[in-house]
Amino acid sequence: MPEELLRIDSLKTVFHTEAGTARAVDGVSFTVGRGETVGLVGESGCGKSVTALSIMRLITDPPGRIESGSIFFEGRDLLSLSEKEMRKVRGNEISIVFQEPLSSLNPVFTCGEQIREAIALHQKLGRRESRERAIEMLRLVRIPDPEKRYGSYPHQMSGGMRQRVMIAMALSCQPKLLIADEPSTALDVSVQAQIIELLAELRDSMDMAILLITHDLAVVAQMAERVVVMYAGAVVEESPVRELFASPAHPYTKGLMDSIPRLGQGLERLPMIPGTVPDPLELPQGCRFSDRCPQRFDRCAVEPPLFELPGGRRARCWLRCGRDA
Amino acid sequence: MSAGRSLWSAGWLRFRKNRLAMAGAVAVLILYLAAIFAPLLTPYDPVSHGHLPEMRHQPPSWQHPLGTDKFGRDVLTRIVYGARVSLTVSFLAVALSVLLGSLTGAVAGYSGGIVDAVLMRIVDALMSIPKLFLMLTCIALFSRSLLLVTVLLGATGWMGTARLVRGQILSLRSSEFVSAAEALGARGGRIVLRHLIPNTLTVIIVSATLKIGLIILVEASLSFLGLGVPPPTPSWGMMVFEGREVLLDAWWVSTFPGLAIIVTVVAYNLLGDGLRDSFDPMQFT
Repeated sequence: MPEELLRIDSLKTVFHTEAGTARAVDGVSFTVGRGETVGLVGESGCGKSVTALSIMRLITDPPGRIESGSIFFEGRDLLSLSEKEMRKVRGNEISIVFQEPLSSLNPVFTCGEQIREAIALHQKLGRRESRERAIEMLRLVRIPDPEKRYGSYPHQMSGGMRQRVMIAMALSCQPKLLIADEPSTALDVSVQAQIIELLAELRDSMDMAILLITHDLAVVAQMAERVVVMYAGAVVEESPVRELFASPAHPYTKGLMDSIPRLGQGLERLPMIPGTVPDPLELPQGCRFSDRCPQRFDRCAVEPPLFELPGGRRARCWLRCGRDA
Repeated sequence: MSAGRSLWSAGWLRFRKNRLAMAGAVAVLILYLAAIFAPLLTPYDPVSHGHLPEMRHQPPSWQHPLGTDKFGRDVLTRIVYGARVSLTVSFLAVALSVLLGSLTGAVAGYSGGIVDAVLMRIVDALMSIPKLFLMLTCIALFSRSLLLVTVLLGATGWMGTARLVRGQILSLRSSEFVSAAEALGARGGRIVLRHLIPNTLTVIIVSATLKIGLIILVEASLSFLGLGVPPPTPSWGMMVFEGREVLLDAWWVSTFPGLAIIVTVVAYNLLGDGLRDSFDPMQFT
């Protein structure tokens, strides 16, 4: 296990809406080691992105609020930093790449200018030097003809190119942790693979950790070392990636894996998890997954804790209570 | 911005194809050139009173294409010099009101919450004061000058811009590139100046152009009421006023400055409409 870089401890982020209080992230804990890639997996609306925004402290308040918990980054609790100190962390030590590369770039400035600005925010460089750094970053993310592309506007570039520009911006100050929030979801399938490959290469050459947020288990299998599975605002399973795919410990994880199409499997219909993610405004009593779970039994009326399993695994399911231990 | 086909150059291509807008732009350009080079265009003095009595109220002729007024001064000369007043006052007043309005609107829209509420209530309060009476009071209290008129017109005209910009910023505020800039560690002020205002610039310019026409009219009304720029400096509104008594005998004294006002306002409105059609991003979405 590598040295610890990020530790999230019982993080609770809520949104106060007119309809009530939505518990988007409800007591989430996990760690990311130095240089490690952790996949954060779950359906839409399970709290993955809110967790990411909480780490960056970019939750819009109101209506959102980080209610309790702590986020330790290199031993410092990010939640206790002032806004000014936090700005020095953002983009410099922790960066984030968003899902939608078109709207994440400012339409009125050239891509190069925007990378240059990201550099200038944290490094005292002259105009020419920061421009050269920006071109270097464009080259690093494999944009052909970077000198020329420096002057291109976002709308003149393809989705994959724009995501490369976003990655260049995020990595321009060599962060220790990159949060990639569905970095390839909005792109064509062939481009998705390129972006994931690029991220993996850059991770190795720059020695940074990645928190990879996705609902695509194939991407996780390709890149991550460890996986954290979230459901309805809580961690339901945590496991090294190999063991997770070999034997999912939580019925929800199993359901996710069964719903991936496989080549050569002559099924007429893919199995799917019945029902939908519970409304964060009214989470069910007991186990959050119980009303969709094929294996539910009487103990599920009480919410299970995260059971420690051998091999550094954890699972929030009564089926794992006492077994394997 | 150097390379690439930006929003600006794409908009310019659309603008050039719009004939009415181009006519407006050319007319505005000619007006400014005439105002700047007024001494080269006409041999007469716009303010001198030392003319012979028989020079007064001369009808249009080759010497005086637009006739002379009650002091024997050339009407065309006074219109050209009067353009200096109208164009300068309206341009500076609009510049001031755009500056005040966009900053207030941007800060209100970006900050939200209590800051937004307070600023917008101030805007509401100022909007509910009748502008003309406020200006009349101020002009009565202080001595009349070009500067006072400009500042008054600017300071009473920014609230609409503030609302417009605030609305724009509110919709941009939640866009992902703002989150992305925040995630890179940019400060609030930087986000407003670098990311939000540049994206509302086209809308601001369009509304400013349309507003110039309105300000020219208000300035003319003030001058007509004798509260504008002090005489003998020629201004269009005052010239219309001065010709009022002799409208039947010497129609040219009022009519031509009035036409000048109409032409200028129409030219600015054509230009503003054309700019909006070519540059306002809302038109294409």
